[in-house]
Amino acid sequence: MASSPKSDLPQGMLDLLILKAVALAPVHGYAIAQRLQQISRDVVQVPGGSLYPALHRLENRKLLAADWRQTETGRDARFYRLTRSGRAHLEAESASWQRLSEAVRLILGMAEGGSR
Amino acid sequence: MNWWRRLSRPGEQEARLDQEVSFHIEERVSDLMRSGVSEGEARRRVRLEFGGAEQVKEGCRDVRRARWVETLSQDCRYAWRNLRRNPGFSVVAVATLALGIGGITAIFSAFDAILIRPLPYADADRLVMVWDDMTRSEGDSTFFSTPAEWFQWRRLNTVFTDLACSQPGEAILSGDGEPEEIRARKVTWNLWSVLGVQPALGRVFTYDEDDKGARVIVISHGLWQRRFGGAADIVGRKITINDTPHEVIGVMPQSFYFMPSRDIDVWMPASFPPGLRNNITWHNAQIVARLKEGVSLEHARKSMAALSLQVTAKDFRGPHSATVLPLREEMAGKTQAALIVLLWASAALLLIACVNLANLLLSRGVARGREVAVRTALGAGRGRLVAQFLTESLVLAGVGAVAGLALAVPAMRFLEQIVPEAMGAIRLTLDWRVLAFAAAASVAAALTFGLAPALRGSRLAPQKGLRDGGRGTAGASSHWWQNSLIIVQTALAISLLTCGGLLLQTFQHLRNTDLGIRTERLLTFETPLLRYQDFDRRVAFVNAELEKVRVIPGVAGVGAISRIPLTVTDGSRFYLLAGQSRDRASAQIALTRVVSHGYFGTVGARLREGRFFETSDRRSESPVVVVNESFANRNYPGRSPLGERLKFERLNEKGYWYTIVGVVKEIHERGVTEDSRPAIYRVHEQADQSNDTPSGIVVRTAVEPASIISAVRQAIWSVDANQPLARIRTMKDIVDRQLSTPTQSSALLGAFAVLALLLASVGLYGVLSFAVMQRTNEIGVRMALGATSTDILFSFGKRGLALTLAGLAIGLAMAAVAARSMTSLLYGFRPEYLLTATLASLILLAVATLASLVPARRASRIDPMVALRNE
Repeated sequence: MASSPKSDLPQGMLDLLILKAVALAPVHGYAIAQRLQQISRDVVQVPGGSLYPALHRLENRKLLAADWRQTETGRDARFYRLTRSGRAHLEAESASWQRLSEAVRLILGMAEGGSR
Repeated sequence: MNWWRRLSRPGEQEARLDQEVSFHIEERVSDLMRSGVSEGEARRRVRLEFGGAEQVKEGCRDVRRARWVETLSQDCRYAWRNLRRNPGFSVVAVATLALGIGGITAIFSAFDAILIRPLPYADADRLVMVWDDMTRSEGDSTFFSTPAEWFQWRRLNTVFTDLACSQPGEAILSGDGEPEEIRARKVTWNLWSVLGVQPALGRVFTYDEDDKGARVIVISHGLWQRRFGGAADIVGRKITINDTPHEVIGVMPQSFYFMPSRDIDVWMPASFPPGLRNNITWHNAQIVARLKEGVSLEHARKSMAALSLQVTAKDFRGPHSATVLPLREEMAGKTQAALIVLLWASAALLLIACVNLANLLLSRGVARGREVAVRTALGAGRGRLVAQFLTESLVLAGVGAVAGLALAVPAMRFLEQIVPEAMGAIRLTLDWRVLAFAAAASVAAALTFGLAPALRGSRLAPQKGLRDGGRGTAGASSHWWQNSLIIVQTALAISLLTCGGLLLQTFQHLRNTDLGIRTERLLTFETPLLRYQDFDRRVAFVNAELEKVRVIPGVAGVGAISRIPLTVTDGSRFYLLAGQSRDRASAQIALTRVVSHGYFGTVGARLREGRFFETSDRRSESPVVVVNESFANRNYPGRSPLGERLKFERLNEKGYWYTIVGVVKEIHERGVTEDSRPAIYRVHEQADQSNDTPSGIVVRTAVEPASIISAVRQAIWSVDANQPLARIRTMKDIVDRQLSTPTQSSALLGAFAVLALLLASVGLYGVLSFAVMQRTNEIGVRMALGATSTDILFSFGKRGLALTLAGLAIGLAMAAVAARSMTSLLYGFRPEYLLTATLASLILLAVATLASLVPARRASRIDPMVALRNE
């Protein structure tokens, strides 16, 4: 866990990642953090001080909805799920990010050794 | 309803947050422990990677707060935009609110200054005045006390920590500069400790100095600045008062003042002579006392009443009681009642303004149905909408408040004249208390006019609003709202009108009261005769000064009297009629005045029978008196008092028997608004009897009184260069000053009433106009089906009339109740209630009819073709 360098995420980026993490099924805050860490192979490790404010902000903006449910272990936890507008926002932002990252990849690739 | 839950149970929200964060931490710790890490190590790692629980929670709280601020500023911006988009509505709303908020703020500033602001004494609420209660003898209950009583009360009471005694003093300041009469009081050494005040410079006199009659004085800040230029060496300086050097030992702070008025310049030790306790001296003492810890006013009242009866049991005049009054009430006097009435009136005006706005907003709410529907469909919760509408109301109220403050400032200037005499000249300013009140009033107003429209406006079902194409129909319940609001407005307006009318009547009555003298072109001033203790010298001086003034060009007449008429001073004595036994005198009090020969002629008094004084009334063993009508009617009912004899002031063998030679028609000696009392007048030359001296001078002028003042001064100084002239003012000024409270009250109340009427009729007009606009379609249909213009006219006019009549009925009932509680403001006058109420009702009906007719006519003039096509 301490081996790979942590990346600092800009806020908009974190929001997008959270939305994606929630997209599949309602999930609680801890699970989101776990999911993000595992899928990104430990690159993305979100401290609580970023995660929870972000979750609440997304909830305020009505992109996420939350309620209290029981986990499999029988404890109470706050589960977040995507709202309709959240899903729409996720799709739009994902597409935008894909375009951007593709453009960056091309530019960075080009700077090395001329055209391919 | 999320936001509501969050608001109402903040503790729960905090607990939930804690639970969420703890869950995460615990899950992580469990996971780590499951993979073999010890608990302690697991917690340490979690702390590192997750962060402290408290910081995380704080981050979430920040989000919450930021959101709140963001929402609020968003709402405010939206509200501001809305206001600017509807300038017509906004201007009307702001103007209405400005009137309401400005009015109540101005009244509150006076209320605060006179009734709430702390008096310049320590713990002023525990201070009371103790008066003799002579209800038995005269209608009025409170009476000055005597030093003998003060001494006994001090010794025997159980309810006060201490009592101090204050008597009028006379002081003529001479030496460096012009001789000047300054207001002086003779006070006991403990006045300062009772009041709980400290001098600004130096010290106050001690018991010993008071006891031994030391020539020490404490002066006021005003005198120190005015006469001595704020000299730094004032303490210890010797100044000449009444031709004797007195040492100034202290100067009081600028903010200090005490009864009877704010302009007392010097306090001297009372120095009661040793034989005082058995000596009955003049009733001219004011007693101030401090209630003991835990003693209530009521308890003190009962205790002192009993004590006084006990102390005066062996008094030849018979036992009398005592009464206790809070100091604040004493100083506020009649102004208190006036301010309370004005406060209610301004609150009523504000209420009317709010009701108007509520109606306006309700109507607009209906028209905004479409906007609300769209936003609801887009997911805005009802709570959000309500909050937003309320924010709009708050913004409106805020702007109205600022405009209102601008209006309040000139109103406060006007009100400054309402301040009672005892409190002197106060400046009414927009200090923090007044501003806080204005803010509170604005918020209250915003809630009052904004809540109902916000609740109703946000309730519209989305499909309904969208379908109606934005116009919306006013359902039956909104009708009900509007109707009741109009009725409330009308009721308030008629109450204000009626009460205003009553006050106006009272004021007119006061203005036109026959005061018994002619008040125009009458100059008055005082020449204190302290330095003329010898009777013959005094008579000579008075006659000389009168003669000198008489010959001034422009002077039509001059006279002297012991107390200037209409000034609220006392000067009563016990009297005895020939044939009565001595103890009758205890129940008989009359005002007594010492006058010069030409006095009655100068003031324009009228004779009922007999004669006034003549120059032939010289020094005599059987002097004469003139009595007034009340005296004659009380003591000699049904017959002429001429020739009857009486004694007053000195009731023993050394006192003179006076013969009544004339009856004068009532002069309002005690003031314009006070009722008159029996009075006895004697000529100063005839007998050396009392301490009352004819120090007051009245001059009837053929020209403007102010123009001869310097000539008068010269005339007096030509007789005695060291004689000061004091309190130079015209009788007209005196009358105006006394009438200032009723003048202001009726002016302000009248203004409120007129504004209320205006607002109420505008409200009615607005509601009916809107109804016409909404129902244009319906009108078109009805006309197409055969209804005539007149039918439509009546239909709309009827509603207006019905509402007005309902409001009228309720309002008149309210006014009747209000009038009863206002009696003290009516100065004992019984105004024509029915006449006023009828007149006010007629005015209201006329205005309301007009307000209803205009839109009704518009409705009746609608072209059915146009109406039906109107969408």
